[in-house]
Amino acid sequence: MRLTLRPLPGKSLADQLQQAGVEFPCGGEGICGGCRVRVVEGEIPVTESMRMQLSEKELRDGWRLACSAMASAPVTVEVEQWSVRVLADDAMVPVEPRRGWGAAVDLGTTTVAAQLVNLETGEVEGIETALNAQARFGADVMSRIQYELREPGELGVVIRGQIGAMLARLAGGRPLEEVLLAGNTAMHHLFCGLDVAPLAAVPFLSPHAGAQRLEAGSVPWRADTLFLPCLGGFVGSDLLAGLVATQLDKNQDSHVLFDIGTNGEIVCASRSSVRCASTAAGPAFEGGRIRQGMRAGEGAIDHVGIEGGRLAPHAIGGGEPRGVCGSGLVDAVARALDLGIILASGRLTQGEIALADAVSLTQSDVRQLQLAKGAMAAGLKMMAGEARRLCLAGAFGNYLHLLGARRIGLLPEDVEVEPVGNAALRGARLLLLSPSSREERVGGILSVTEHVELAADARFQDIFAESMALEPYRLR
Amino acid sequence: MADLSKLFDAVLNGDQKTAVAVTQEALAEGRDPMELITQYMVPAMDEVGRRFECEEYFVPELLLSARAMKGSLELLRPLLAASGAEPAGRVVIGTVKGDLHDIGKNLVASMLEGGGFEVIDLGADVGPARFIAAVREKNARIVALSALLTVTMPSMRKTIEALKEAGVRDHVKVMVGGAPVTPQFADEIGADGYGENATAAVALARKFAQAG
Repeated sequence: MRLTLRPLPGKSLADQLQQAGVEFPCGGEGICGGCRVRVVEGEIPVTESMRMQLSEKELRDGWRLACSAMASAPVTVEVEQWSVRVLADDAMVPVEPRRGWGAAVDLGTTTVAAQLVNLETGEVEGIETALNAQARFGADVMSRIQYELREPGELGVVIRGQIGAMLARLAGGRPLEEVLLAGNTAMHHLFCGLDVAPLAAVPFLSPHAGAQRLEAGSVPWRADTLFLPCLGGFVGSDLLAGLVATQLDKNQDSHVLFDIGTNGEIVCASRSSVRCASTAAGPAFEGGRIRQGMRAGEGAIDHVGIEGGRLAPHAIGGGEPRGVCGSGLVDAVARALDLGIILASGRLTQGEIALADAVSLTQSDVRQLQLAKGAMAAGLKMMAGEARRLCLAGAFGNYLHLLGARRIGLLPEDVEVEPVGNAALRGARLLLLSPSSREERVGGILSVTEHVELAADARFQDIFAESMALEPYRLR
Repeated sequence: MADLSKLFDAVLNGDQKTAVAVTQEALAEGRDPMELITQYMVPAMDEVGRRFECEEYFVPELLLSARAMKGSLELLRPLLAASGAEPAGRVVIGTVKGDLHDIGKNLVASMLEGGGFEVIDLGADVGPARFIAAVREKNARIVALSALLTVTMPSMRKTIEALKEAGVRDHVKVMVGGAPVTPQFADEIGADGYGENATAAVALARKFAQAG
């Protein structure tokens, strides 16, 4: 996507770029280089922070940082790497019919998905997806929490306003009876305007993690509004709703619900117990901190095979590759391991790995992936030793190629893996459509749920370090 | 005679078994413990740091080398203490209050030990009072603070302020590090230095120790 921006006198272009979906991973401080865009026409002057973050060649090629972009005349930039696939969900679910319409919302750190639901039939009559408008204040939950501590209330206004606009477009004048939201613990607190200070320090336990009812005055719509309760720690109601959708807590054996993102969340559930934990992955799976990383948009390498003894990349949209997204990164490293270009230690045997004419991976990119996948695998080893099956929730899990994920040791070899799509949204819709049994269902899960603090476990460091090796592993 | 180049190799390759075996052999032959440290282990850990710096080594290799070094150090330490040999310096290190992440801090602690320092590791979620007590008790001249979360960085500032109030700030050099920490932040909170990674932390500590 190309975008022509008309600068307002004395104002930076950051706002306009943010509205186009550009994210500022470090919160716009100019220290991460993550918000790069490419100028194709016109001029954005190079600033000190751009010089720090971008190479001479990148600057010559027109790359600039969106967060400190200024211009004195109209300028056209390419923001393709910021377009994104958001998972929706329209599976059939049981309905306890009542009149009117309602909405289910999956509020993610990166993306938001909202559905208009006919409460009589259970049908999804409309869907809106968007990048979370808070993204410009930081890519991960911790930078959002830090921003909230500095500027209390602003992020809540931003997200309630964004979802309000989405719901208004979806409803198109029809009155909404009820709105149900699911999201991680930080999103829950920010949306509801709760104090995030408890989430900023050990033991990360908030007294306000329960279900929150919001009055009509505190949200920009008129409908009963309920934010579902968090499971525990940073594991939020998106995983709770995921459990409702997958019914993993109704099995005799343990099954795992696993959401891979900037934060990995692991829920190991059976009829008798639910244990949940989170482990920080960093942004590598979303293309962050990867030199030519990008979101899973047009031109992103999302799959890599081997043809004639060489790496053969496929880019989304079928055109010339322009960067690599998380699933492509996993695949590329898996195939490079097959070819012996990368050793199991993560060391490259040559300078860089060329994937396409304009795209290559560096040693540092592989190290970032090792950190991210090491954290995920360590979490699984500590939480899921008994699990029969691994259900992958969320967008990344849905687009990930299983073979590659096992080859690099992100997912275990000896457990069945099944992508379950946007289980959070499906679970929220299920609960929206079953008002009379909702409390019992949610309360039942919470009463058997235990949160595990992985970092507090003395074994974590060794398991994490061992899990950084790029080799297949087994849980048993 | 024990082949001490094997000690260098064992630390560099993270081979704890061999490191311990060679150390035992050398000690049995009456070799000087200080020589083992300064001539073989410190150079080996310096090489580990160099390889980490140029991305040839990564966290797992660093941890393995640290483990090999520690295996050997455990045998040498009692002898050093008995002989009254002084370390390159004493460092009190910890992850600050509110933060549980200690892998980065552990790496820095290991590299400092490998660099010949005596390291007093207070662990994670360490409040200012414990830093102050350790500085006084061990007569440490360097305090190293770590934080992995942006939200726990303010604890670094509080720790430095507490050192001032306790009247020990002038006796120590304070160095800070951790993924979200920047040199600007280090300046802002009045730290004496910032280390981007474990090897930078060792270089900084050496500078502080030499300055006196």
